[in-house]
Amino acid sequence: MTARPRTMPLRVAAAIPLSPTLKAFTLIPADGGLVPPSGPGAHLRLNLPVPGRMLKNAYSLISNPADRSHLAIIVRRVAGSKGGSAFLHEEVEDGDVIEAGLPANLFPVVRTARRHLMVSGGIGLTPFLAYIAAFEAAGTPWELHHFCRPDERGVFEGLLARYPAARVHLHCDVDLGVLDEALLRQPLGTHFYTCGPALLMDTVMERAAALGWPRARLHSESFGGAAEGGEPFIAVLRRSGLEVAVGADTSLLAAIEAAGVEAPCLCRGGACGQCLIEVAEGIPEHRDHFLDGEERASNRLIMTCVSRSRTARLVLDL
Amino acid sequence: MLISDIKSRPVYERLSLDGAGRRHLVLSDAPRPLGEVIDGTDGADAPLGYWIVAATSAVDAQPQAEAAPGNAAPVEWRAFRAASHLLDRLSHRLAQETVGLRLYAIGEEGFIWDVARMAREAGLEPSECFTAHAGSLRRKVFCVHCKTVTSGVTTSIAVCEGCGAHLVVRDHFSRMHAAFMGVQADAEAPGELPPVEEVFP
Repeated sequence: MTARPRTMPLRVAAAIPLSPTLKAFTLIPADGGLVPPSGPGAHLRLNLPVPGRMLKNAYSLISNPADRSHLAIIVRRVAGSKGGSAFLHEEVEDGDVIEAGLPANLFPVVRTARRHLMVSGGIGLTPFLAYIAAFEAAGTPWELHHFCRPDERGVFEGLLARYPAARVHLHCDVDLGVLDEALLRQPLGTHFYTCGPALLMDTVMERAAALGWPRARLHSESFGGAAEGGEPFIAVLRRSGLEVAVGADTSLLAAIEAAGVEAPCLCRGGACGQCLIEVAEGIPEHRDHFLDGEERASNRLIMTCVSRSRTARLVLDL
Repeated sequence: MLISDIKSRPVYERLSLDGAGRRHLVLSDAPRPLGEVIDGTDGADAPLGYWIVAATSAVDAQPQAEAAPGNAAPVEWRAFRAASHLLDRLSHRLAQETVGLRLYAIGEEGFIWDVARMAREAGLEPSECFTAHAGSLRRKVFCVHCKTVTSGVTTSIAVCEGCGAHLVVRDHFSRMHAAFMGVQADAEAPGELPPVEEVFP
């Protein structure tokens, strides 16, 4: 059995500044052909060689998943970050080749929904650009409420200009009361999605729950990439006796793989549960969205793709 | 010949008002006092409808406000001639509804799963629609051979209304058909039938 390739080279076909801090990238396969399939809500992990190390930053795909000629992302330049966004803004130009992981989706659309209500803030609009392309193609009703700063209103208006004005609601004030009105008039079968700053997502999820929306209808983007990094520790693989040093900037799963051990995994974002491993000794620092409270408290299970260790050593049944 | 421990066999709990709902609609396939079928309606301030099947032509299904105990909102009460009458109005109601509704159904399994199917088709999530069993245990039986659903089955072996086969009534339950699975009882030895027992009174 040949291992599925984990990365692919992508060529920058266009790098277009949208604002002083927003830049759009169109990426095509460096070796020609079609880009791998993805679904609305999927993200792309880019390998970014910044001085001294390799960052693996995840960006939501904004391109229409049905169009396999290219992938597209928008990157916000973030001050005080690890430097990935600055690298993309300053160093990457048309024609450059970037190594990228295959698209993965931790924020999929609910296919059985009759209607989709989306609430985004700032750059959190990006996954919804792919959503909307898919909804328009399928003819599924949708409604978007986007919150942004007044100076960026024009940028987001431009990104949404091709869509029916009645479906798009741009807000530059922080009055969330306008959302109550929208939440109260959605027909049965509507699903709700939010992506943006954590405070916005928490607030709107709470508003929806207070207005009678059950958990099953509420969906928020979970940034798998944000979970990487932390205190270094030693992972002991009990079956082989191998001791793996997990550095401050690598994940447990990546460190295990780098040691040549094949560990189960699928989404690499703490969502699917495929990478679940039993913990023999030590206390995990859980960062996943999969384990329930009881499983977390038992300290007997860990999801290697995002979770780390509270103790200096973590002994795994691997 | 009944096969127990079948996972698809629904398990029911007593109905309880979901406090997170903005509107509640309780459906019963027979006249029953509201407090008997569901807990938590005392003091609930969200609007609540209670629709029952009266099984008589003497009712008109018109809404009647009934004072609720405590300081709760009044209950909108309606009586229908038959289950089909109620389900017909329910489909119209669900088409007008918005997210925030909670639906509750109590009665025989054929009725409550007809409601559940209608709810699902209208876009309600399982966490917005609750069912509880009351009344007869008689079953709807889906013939796996001719696909006919035979209603009102109370015995371990039933004659299919479609093809006349003698069917073993199993515990396998289909939420889509709101019916239990029926399989020909004498397929291997024609004419040899196990004794018929009254098992779903």
